[in-house]
Amino acid sequence: MKYIPVMGLEIHAELSTASKVFCSCANDFGGGENTRVCPRCSGMPGTLPLINQNAYTLAARAGFALDCRVNNYSAFDRKNYFYPDLPKAYQITQFEHPICTDGFVEVCGGRKIRINRIHIEEDAGKLVHDDYEGVSMADYNRCGVPLIEIVSEADFRSVDEVLEYVEQIALRLKYAGVCDAKMEQGSLRVDVNISLMPYGSEIFGTRAEIKNLNSFKSIKRAIEYEIERQTEILESGGKVVQETRHYNDNHGDTKSLRSKEEAHDYRYFPEPDIPPIFMTDEQINAIKADMPEMPHKRLIRYTDKYGLPEDDARLIIADKALSDFYDKAIEVYPNYKAVSNLILVEVLRNLNDSGISAENLQFTPKSFAETVKMSENGVISKNAAKDIVKILFKKDRDPKKIAEENGFLMNNDTGALEAVINSIISQNADIVQSYKNGNNKVFGFLMGQVIQQAGKSANPQLAKDLLTKKIMEQEG
Amino acid sequence: MKLSELRAQLDSKKIGAVELVHRYLDKIQKNDSSIHSYITVCREEAIKNAGKAQSIIDAGKASPLTGIPLSVKDNICTENIRTTCASKMLENFVPDYNATAVRKLIEQNYVLLGKTNMDEFAMGGSSQTSYFGGVRNPYNTDCVAGGSSGGAAASVAADLCAAALGSDTGGSVRQPSAFCGVTGLKPTYGVVSRYGLVAFASSLDQIGIIANSAEDAGYVLNAICGYDSFDSTSSRASIGDVTEKIGADIKGLKIGLPKEFFSDGINAEVKKAVMSAAEFYENVGCKIIETSLPSLEYAVSAYYLISSAEAASNLSRFDGIKYGHRSDEGDSFNDNISHTRREGFGDEVKRRILLGNYALSSGYYDAYYKNAARIRAQIVEEYNDIFSSCDVILTPTAPTTAYKIGFQENDPVKMYLADICTVTVNIAGLPAVSTTCGYDENGMPIGMSLVGKAFDEKTILSVCDRFEQEFEKLEATI
Amino acid sequence: MFNITLTKHLADLSKIAFTNDELKKMTEDMSDIVALMDKVQNFDSEKETYSLEAVNYSDLRKDEPKPSLETEKILKNSKQVKNNSFVVPKVV
Repeated sequence: MKYIPVMGLEIHAELSTASKVFCSCANDFGGGENTRVCPRCSGMPGTLPLINQNAYTLAARAGFALDCRVNNYSAFDRKNYFYPDLPKAYQITQFEHPICTDGFVEVCGGRKIRINRIHIEEDAGKLVHDDYEGVSMADYNRCGVPLIEIVSEADFRSVDEVLEYVEQIALRLKYAGVCDAKMEQGSLRVDVNISLMPYGSEIFGTRAEIKNLNSFKSIKRAIEYEIERQTEILESGGKVVQETRHYNDNHGDTKSLRSKEEAHDYRYFPEPDIPPIFMTDEQINAIKADMPEMPHKRLIRYTDKYGLPEDDARLIIADKALSDFYDKAIEVYPNYKAVSNLILVEVLRNLNDSGISAENLQFTPKSFAETVKMSENGVISKNAAKDIVKILFKKDRDPKKIAEENGFLMNNDTGALEAVINSIISQNADIVQSYKNGNNKVFGFLMGQVIQQAGKSANPQLAKDLLTKKIMEQEG
Repeated sequence: MKLSELRAQLDSKKIGAVELVHRYLDKIQKNDSSIHSYITVCREEAIKNAGKAQSIIDAGKASPLTGIPLSVKDNICTENIRTTCASKMLENFVPDYNATAVRKLIEQNYVLLGKTNMDEFAMGGSSQTSYFGGVRNPYNTDCVAGGSSGGAAASVAADLCAAALGSDTGGSVRQPSAFCGVTGLKPTYGVVSRYGLVAFASSLDQIGIIANSAEDAGYVLNAICGYDSFDSTSSRASIGDVTEKIGADIKGLKIGLPKEFFSDGINAEVKKAVMSAAEFYENVGCKIIETSLPSLEYAVSAYYLISSAEAASNLSRFDGIKYGHRSDEGDSFNDNISHTRREGFGDEVKRRILLGNYALSSGYYDAYYKNAARIRAQIVEEYNDIFSSCDVILTPTAPTTAYKIGFQENDPVKMYLADICTVTVNIAGLPAVSTTCGYDENGMPIGMSLVGKAFDEKTILSVCDRFEQEFEKLEATI
Repeated sequence: MFNITLTKHLADLSKIAFTNDELKKMTEDMSDIVALMDKVQNFDSEKETYSLEAVNYSDLRKDEPKPSLETEKILKNSKQVKNNSFVVPKVV
């Protein structure tokens, strides 16, 4: 390919507040049309916006999550345009003085993607089209849902960088408690600006903007389609038009959203209904101090300090609740790898099977840690540990008690085991002989017989050693 | 009768609240057709509420405004009572909420007589742009009542209410008060909540009071002022009891006369009357200081750019979809709302919207909106300078007295220039009160304005009252 | 400098339909008005612009949801309602 794609992202993330950004209607999902609407968010005459403090807090948290500067002074502006999902005919947003500026996220092994700004704004309503009647129906439930827009510089040069960035942002926002980042519900939406630059050049081409991508798959396909489309245009000597394009998930292509007014003139000006907002250094620092560890920092801790393989660490970190669970478990029993292994094998499998999410785990990290500890100390077998986890999924109990009740405690009584082994050897003289003749495969069968008779409490290592010894002692 | 006296009469049962409201309703029925100060008269509710007020008075639990019949400008929202802004656009709009100022009056069990006429969306200085027909001046029904709170001022002047709520964005309480010979108080920006006031220019709008005297205006302001969590621009500063200094000695008070307000553009009779008021103050021991507001020459342009820019945005919500007039024409959203807005708005509103969008549009923003915002900062500074050496400022309220209907309302530039005396007060967010200081050769009232430091309503009301105590008012002819 | 093309552009931005005669009259009015407004261009452009006094973060509204207005009340002033929604002509 002769061209490098140059991309910038605008990510809209819905803030996890209880109420909307400029009124007290609930910030929720679903429900009947126009059931979460009041005079303010429906733009009734004489009503005024009241900024939600928590929206500010969460936006500042997003700033810290993405290594931004959180500004002492920020202010709102009006973005004016007529559209039936926008009842005031302007969107309240932050244009001149956003709350956060100058952040970055590292992708693909260290490339820095600069974040220009994060600003707070309100979401618009929803239109349902009635093709039969040729009209649309406006539902304002979503009007005034608080959003942040995270604007990157045009620093992306590959699809992978874009995908990793979005993945990281989604995860960090979840960690910071800013946004649930459910792309399928629209709580995280991505706009991609994309242009092509010839190899060796430093001058960006004309960009197209693809709006409202709401899955990783559509981001990838839309970018790939757009690279192909723009390449074809440039190859054939044409010019890319600066425009907004819509991605069609069914066709996997993008289409121009050309409207009558080609160039929008949003007539931004300072929102006169909301004074600028001032945060003291103390207030900003208090928000910062309240930040949890971010996943990229946690990854370094898990790999460098705990020695977990990177893939394992990523798997745990991908789910904050699970990762928090892990952190609490290793406080009880700091065998990092063993705890991680049982989480990755048994907890993840049970989570998948049961459909429970990690934040709703029925048992404590302590019960879990003790289970791992028993297994590691040879008190119970590895298999028994798995069985205990299964039982814990139903109800939190003392794992020692579970082990006792289920006969999981390993029997280290050599006498009893010896008796079982002697009896197995005498019952299977032929097979023992065959083993002694060099047929190693049959050893497993003999072990199976031993464990079956000795029960789960038998210490497998001990049984193995004894069986070998007894066979060797046999006269042959 | 002063509101405090009316209060005393109601409390001592010399007059009943129901009887009082009937007196006003009868007078409205008899006289309002000649001045058209009301758009909606709330006859039944008024009688009902007066009855309720009476029972509260009987129980000895009256608040200052219990049972007092007031009018409210029709751009201030009243629950279940239509609020039209004198526009076809909102002809049938019935809000489900009260403006905070109205809610506070209701908490005192006031009696709402009706909603007063005005310039459409409060844009104008004549109250002739109302969709429901213009207001006439109670001193001479051939003349305008001023605007935009012309109905409010006329309703007070013609004694069709005890006092009135208006709104003042660039002089809309003070100028009609001057034209109609009554007292108009525009409080400091943020003192009265704007919640429920249909926005014209958010950063300049302020609910004000029109009454028979400065004392009455303060009496009503005490009821409606105060921080409101429903309005982010509402001030947390308390102004206290604004009538507190009424009757106090004003000796030694420094009154500034900015020379730019007495230029050639101001009618000679007006100048003379205001200057004689200055003499009055000097005679009672005040110090008159000549001062200057050098940027006044920019004020009208800056005001129209800022207010129109905000108005263009504020009025964009009127598209006929959620409420208000909706055109039958136009199949697409854009066509339909463009026809709705064409049919629903009058010419002056359209001019302001176009001007506002011009000032904000790409390529013009810096030259117009931004420069206007710079001038605004400059004017704020110049007022601060003046107030470093003066306690109050005295100016004419309007360059002329009320003129004949049809004289200049159709010449926008002339109309805009006529706001020269009032707009800087809104630009700087200051309190000001206008009262009558004389009459012209045709017997039309002349207004003067006293402008105070931010949140110092007390002083201007006291200074205004001092003049009113000795000024002989001529009653309106209607 | 103010001409009918500009008026048309502003009318479009403002979403107000005009007949040709109205456009002509509006252009005349706007020319006079803008001539008055041009005064501000002589002003010192170094000066900081005005802005409202900032409020502190601690004074912002607390995040507590309150009941919304009943759907029927939200819709009651609308001329056209269907499925508890505002009926809007198609955008394009």
